[in-house]
Amino acid sequence: MSTDYAIQVRNLTVSYGPKPALLDVSFVINTGELVGIIGPNGAGKSTLMKAILGFVKRDIGEVYIFGKPVEQTRGLVAYVPQRGTVDWDYPVTVHDVAMMGRYGHLKWWQNESKEDHEIVDECLKMVRMSEFRDRQIGQLSGGQQQRVFMARALAQGAKILLLDEPFAGVDAATENAILDVLTEAKKAGITLVVVHHDLATASEYFEKLLLIKQRLYAAGPPSLVFRQELLTEVYEGKLKVFTDLIKE
Amino acid sequence: MDVLFTLLIEPITKMYLLKALIGGSIVAVVCAVAGCLVILQRMAFLGDALSHAMIAGVGAGYLFMKVFFGIEAAAGAMLIGSLIAAMLTVFMIGFVAKVSRIKEDTSIGIMYTGIFAAGVVLVSVFNKYIHIDIVHFIMGDILGISDTDMIVSSIVSAVVLSVIILFFRYFKLTSFDPVMAASIGIPVLFFKYLFTGCVSLVVVSAVNMVGVILVVGLLITPAATAYLLTDRLEKMMALAAVFGFTSILGGLYLSLWMNSAGGGAIMLFSTLQFLIVLIFAPRYGMLADKLRAKKAVPQQITEDIIGSVFKGGGKLSMNELTSYVETTKKTFANALTSLSEDGLLNVAANNVALTEKGKAEALRLKKAHRVWETYLHHMGVPEEELHEQAHILEHYNDAEAISYIHEKMGFPQTDPHGAVIPDIYADGSFCLTNMFGFSKSDVQVVTIKTDKGIKPGDRVKVTQTEDSFELELNGQIIELNDAEVASLTVRLPDSL
Repeated sequence: MSTDYAIQVRNLTVSYGPKPALLDVSFVINTGELVGIIGPNGAGKSTLMKAILGFVKRDIGEVYIFGKPVEQTRGLVAYVPQRGTVDWDYPVTVHDVAMMGRYGHLKWWQNESKEDHEIVDECLKMVRMSEFRDRQIGQLSGGQQQRVFMARALAQGAKILLLDEPFAGVDAATENAILDVLTEAKKAGITLVVVHHDLATASEYFEKLLLIKQRLYAAGPPSLVFRQELLTEVYEGKLKVFTDLIKE
Repeated sequence: MDVLFTLLIEPITKMYLLKALIGGSIVAVVCAVAGCLVILQRMAFLGDALSHAMIAGVGAGYLFMKVFFGIEAAAGAMLIGSLIAAMLTVFMIGFVAKVSRIKEDTSIGIMYTGIFAAGVVLVSVFNKYIHIDIVHFIMGDILGISDTDMIVSSIVSAVVLSVIILFFRYFKLTSFDPVMAASIGIPVLFFKYLFTGCVSLVVVSAVNMVGVILVVGLLITPAATAYLLTDRLEKMMALAAVFGFTSILGGLYLSLWMNSAGGGAIMLFSTLQFLIVLIFAPRYGMLADKLRAKKAVPQQITEDIIGSVFKGGGKLSMNELTSYVETTKKTFANALTSLSEDGLLNVAANNVALTEKGKAEALRLKKAHRVWETYLHHMGVPEEELHEQAHILEHYNDAEAISYIHEKMGFPQTDPHGAVIPDIYADGSFCLTNMFGFSKSDVQVVTIKTDKGIKPGDRVKVTQTEDSFELELNGQIIELNDAEVASLTVRLPDSL
């Protein structure tokens, strides 16, 4: 097994009940790539993400993280939740959330050590959130909120980041701020996998796209994935929009 | 004195009251702590469901011991029976919601009434064997609490509290972000059931005291009260425990003075406590909201003041300032107070001066104004209206948004009038061109291109000379040429 790939998925099939959510999906993602996962609603994007995080029951197939089976690599892949699913009123501070990144390194009877605190402070500094460490997470701007979860991923020591629809429901300025954070993370050598909804921006943001609807329809640079016959097949009916996209 | 003694001290010299106070407090404190996690996971309805399901368990446990062992009212068996019934309810709720299109709230409604009904039928059909007082069950009887009840609920409370403290981190993470929890290998489902088990246990012990109907209040009201007062889960739990205790204490006295049912008085007191906090809580209370709105100074006024002082060279006499800023006296005074509290403005008796932080803020506003002007110009707004419209728009000046518009226009260097758009970056750093009034001001260098020995990160004192800037580093004064000034961006030290 080559260790050059950050993520390698082979013949992955996952099903809930009789209908497969993912069918025979295979692809590789190289270290340091910024990859977008696109596909219509219910295409299995979140299932694929859970499979890469290693807690979905696979019918067939394997998932390797840096060449090792995913079960043995807990914590190497960090997850940044979708904005809409986070309870922003939850009584936790910026520091508390970043500290959650250390939980996987602590046994249940162990207290957070001085070293853990140092790591967390360091990570908050890296995402420029030190001065907000005692702020409750609901009292931050959209870009800052994204950076908190980025700090948590860094504190976790993750080399791969999975982001669930980070651009859903944010304004243009926040979208920009999030892109900055992604660019910085990429510069630091982190592999980024982003579930993305908006086809119009997908080719602008990502160097590589995975087009999914149960099966993997295409994987590669946007120019290769955005082909009329592929999009027609995956997104039935919405053709007009796509002809515009492809012309660009 | 005598009156006070009769009202406050005498009651606790009575054994049954002392027992009610101690037993009730133990249960209420643990209820409140567990309740914090219940309300954060929006499981409030679950407490209700569990307490109702309990009667089936109590009935079945009673019947089991009576029929097979001939033991009357075995407390242990009834406790275990209630636990089983509670867990069964939780399982059935999840099961129905999972296998059908029925949503969870509906499923809760079906299951808890169903199992409650089964309990009622069971108890009435076997009323020859089971001597359970349904009224006691529904209303609770904190004043008639037995020694066995007291021991059982103390043990239960100790166990539940230990579990919550031991696994605090995991309960916090699984309730806040279950997907992340699962991804680092925490058994989310296990903790969900462990927690449900804990809640069932405390609910079962609390039913004895306040009854089926009110127990959910003991679980969530103190927790909700604490939720309005703090932004940290640890503190929320500690506060909730205090409110749980005061609910029992206050409620017991209330019931004595008014000669009412114990459970009712406790929950009434707890609810009043909540309402008071709802009104007076310093941050999330209703009054605080009102006060904030009243004290709030229109952003426009404070920004106009900063802009005027900046235009006046960083310092203005009070007379000049009032002539520039149009507003009422009161708002003007409020604005000055708030600006000086924020460390943006030094206010003296008859003049005001911008602080370094204030100057940076002024620069940010200037950038907003000029970016908006440029944007309006692009949109074809006539020249003579540019300034006025930009003056309105400049109050929409979120740094990230302004930088975004600036970028989308391709980073124009100047506005339509040819004035330089000051560069301020998202991290609060800015370039010195276009800035003035610096005299030995303490700043941190963010970027610079020079071979004069100054590096990013250095703390320097910057002074503006006639046509350039000079920096003082470790007592050594360094003059900068134009290229170096252009490459220099600085930030105010974090201490400001």
